[in-house]
Amino acid sequence: MQEHVTVRGSWRVWLCAAAAGAFGALGASAQGTPGQAAAPPMTVAGYSYVKSLGGIDEYRLDANGLTVLLAADHSAPVVTFQVTYRVGSRNEVTGTTGATHILEHLMFKGSENFNDPKGNSIKQYLERVGGQYNATTSVDRTHYFATVGRDDLEGYVAVEADRMRHLWLREADRKSEMTVVRNEYERGKNDPNSVLFEEVTAAAYMAHPYSHPVIGWKSDIEHVPIAKLHEFYDTFYWPNNATISVVGDIDAAAVLGLIRKYYGAFTRSPQPIPEIYTEEPEQSGPRRVIVRRPGELGTVVIAHKVPNGRDADQPALEMLDDILSSGKNSRLYRALVDQGLALEAEAGTELHRDLSLHLVYATMAPGATHAGVEQALLAEIAKIKSDGVTAEEVERVRRQYAAAEAFKRDGTMAVAREINEWVGIGDWTSYVTFPQQIDGVTAADVQRVARQYLNEEQGTTGWFVPTPQSGEKGS
Amino acid sequence: MISQRLRYLALTACLAAASNGWASMAENGRRSQTAGIDLITYQTGVRQVVIIVGALPAGDAMAGSDNVAIPTLTGMMLDRGTKTLDKFAIAKQLDDVGAEMSFSVGQQSLEIHARCLRKDLPLVLRLMAAELREPAMQASEFAKARQKFIGTLQESMHNTDERAREAFARAIFPQGHPNRPHSLEELLSAAKSATLEQAQKFHAHYYGPAHMTLVLAGDVPVAEAQASIAKDFAGWSGGQNYIYPAKPATSQGPSTIVVPIKDKPSVSVILGQSTGLRYRDPDALSLRVGTAVLGRGFTGRLMRIVRDKEGLTYNIDAEVTEDSIADGAWDISASFNPSLLDQGLASTRRLLDAWWQDGVTDEELALRKQGILGTYLVSLATTRGIASAILTNVQRGYDLDWLDAYPHMIQALTRDQVNKAIHTHIDPHSMVLIEAGSVSAGGKPAEESAPAAQH
Repeated sequence: MQEHVTVRGSWRVWLCAAAAGAFGALGASAQGTPGQAAAPPMTVAGYSYVKSLGGIDEYRLDANGLTVLLAADHSAPVVTFQVTYRVGSRNEVTGTTGATHILEHLMFKGSENFNDPKGNSIKQYLERVGGQYNATTSVDRTHYFATVGRDDLEGYVAVEADRMRHLWLREADRKSEMTVVRNEYERGKNDPNSVLFEEVTAAAYMAHPYSHPVIGWKSDIEHVPIAKLHEFYDTFYWPNNATISVVGDIDAAAVLGLIRKYYGAFTRSPQPIPEIYTEEPEQSGPRRVIVRRPGELGTVVIAHKVPNGRDADQPALEMLDDILSSGKNSRLYRALVDQGLALEAEAGTELHRDLSLHLVYATMAPGATHAGVEQALLAEIAKIKSDGVTAEEVERVRRQYAAAEAFKRDGTMAVAREINEWVGIGDWTSYVTFPQQIDGVTAADVQRVARQYLNEEQGTTGWFVPTPQSGEKGS
Repeated sequence: MISQRLRYLALTACLAAASNGWASMAENGRRSQTAGIDLITYQTGVRQVVIIVGALPAGDAMAGSDNVAIPTLTGMMLDRGTKTLDKFAIAKQLDDVGAEMSFSVGQQSLEIHARCLRKDLPLVLRLMAAELREPAMQASEFAKARQKFIGTLQESMHNTDERAREAFARAIFPQGHPNRPHSLEELLSAAKSATLEQAQKFHAHYYGPAHMTLVLAGDVPVAEAQASIAKDFAGWSGGQNYIYPAKPATSQGPSTIVVPIKDKPSVSVILGQSTGLRYRDPDALSLRVGTAVLGRGFTGRLMRIVRDKEGLTYNIDAEVTEDSIADGAWDISASFNPSLLDQGLASTRRLLDAWWQDGVTDEELALRKQGILGTYLVSLATTRGIASAILTNVQRGYDLDWLDAYPHMIQALTRDQVNKAIHTHIDPHSMVLIEAGSVSAGGKPAEESAPAAQH
């Protein structure tokens, strides 16, 4: 399943191993730091303490370089345990597109010590204890997570650890799972807007592997050999390429002991984790994409490449996006939705480890034209470039972020999942510092980043143009 | 007001108790009639945050014969200004404190959602009361709401999951049943001719406190909240009850309905029937637990075989739905590539028949009961989870003591009860099959769509 999730209001797109309906609600409604500070940093045998920030303590397992983040929240007797591997579709090349995601699926097929024949597979264990669990793949990372009652944590850690290095990777499983993944791909293709965003992304990135979709191209999904998946697993699934996050009702020393017990025997990767060195060349002119599929309402999307998710300009871009599209007083609502040009209009950034993608889009209202909607979107961007934004708009966004800091304390899974996104982007501390940086953004910053990055010459514009169903008249 | 420490201890104890079967969760809640509203406040361990969910009977099922689009259009008018504030002024007041409030219209209910900081609760309640009681109902805003609704409906026409769900509910619930939705075509046609006067009339008749429920959960200042609601909703009257059908829906016999939609690589499938059961009926919980054995999670039989072993689908599950207020539905939903549709359906029916014929095993039941209790613990660990659970179960007719009783109810179920409920209320031979997507009337992959066919 492809979904958009927010990292502080910015967008991330990822794919799940499982249909949401199969695992209960996973909605990420609350965001942010845990309610109570973690226990003070301590000396724990086998670990090096790294740093603490915002109630989160970072440790490194000396034996193999595994990173551990602990965030105590004792408001309910549950714990979310999550492993984030720093591998995503950016690590794929032609012929292996979608391999990261297929591997994520195969991670549920059993491991040496925990599997269906033994009656103790990850699915069997977590559904027996009533855990909420899943896994998702994005361009930058893959994560596996579950929320369980605190007394059920050790059982989950044991199973999760085993599949880090003892996964079954069998051709029979690849064959049966390939058609599962292909159906997931087909479900995505049912939505013409999903196709539009995929094609806009492919056009925006020419050299960088962000160009291809996380789920991969259909022919690669169907034909990637099991040997390639083995190679992927043996390259990236190592403790020194992973971060464990534990959020909830925990005793820090006990949890560190558990992690050492189950992960401590693994070695570091025998080879260094490969780095991506491909850089996207500068775009030399505007690009356009048109998708024609049966449908009713058109869509216009305007994309621009912007710096990586850790860049100091991202908070200003986030402020810009909220001023453009957050709530009824936002500029796009007033100019497009309230004027009857669009049913909805949004702005946001897909934050990435490398070049991120800024998107402004509108779902067209009945009767609106693509050219008219595109011009209206561009006009709002142009106004900010020329006239800037008001102090009142900046203050509104700041206050919304201040409230969001409190809202995020409700629920361990939402906290863990947001930490996971920042791990993928490359720095978990942004989970804490990003809202602080928002507080320091000025109106001048917003105008500057709009001028610097939302340049029409470097933009990629996409239209979804609906074609009529058979027997219908064209609109 | 209980202290933070006590609140934490209470919550920790009660959640642990939930799995052990000890009563204590209900003690964190207070229920009162305040300004005629059924008001429930519930303290959780979260600090400074209040989650609000609510409902009043003003859903699509309440539409008169003159225009079926009116309930949704009326709900869409609520946040478009009040008698004293325009929509931008309301949005500004909420934005300035980072609060959120929204309304949506379901089959029987207008649903209310809000969240805010504890200090801002009086503001949010005041705005909520104004929007519910005195929406401005301006002609210009009505035209905008109507355009948005028409656009949303047009988009839905191409959504295979939505079209399948619509076709299924219309096939199993008879005319006049509150769970029978209006068709998208009916809604589209009605929206085009809907008038502001119709919405005003609907609002005057259906909106009121008489059967409204409001749940405030989190760091709730109980006395202050009650006082705010008493003041803000004072003098409001009226409201209608939910629709409780005199006669439950009965099986219509087996049929297949194809909803052709062009250029869809995946077909949405629903196979199911009406149950004739409301949630509180004696067999209903047994049927739910039995259904979970068939179709919940990766270890449910459907996912384990049809997806995990045979690789025929990305998603397949079985569930009991729409039974909180009226008698509900039972269905298996899945998606298939058109070329794998026949194989997928054959496999699904084979598992369905075996489940219906032989029931569940003792081991399956024991594992599923344990899992349900664990899920219950985890789902109530967020304030939103608790608020939603309370609202749903109040709509089902329970009091707060349901929170403590539920684990006992699950633990008490026997295999005989579960299998009897399956065999009594489910009939695989009388089910409706819906296929929505690029398939022909014969269920084969189709290049060109054909008119909707039933056979």
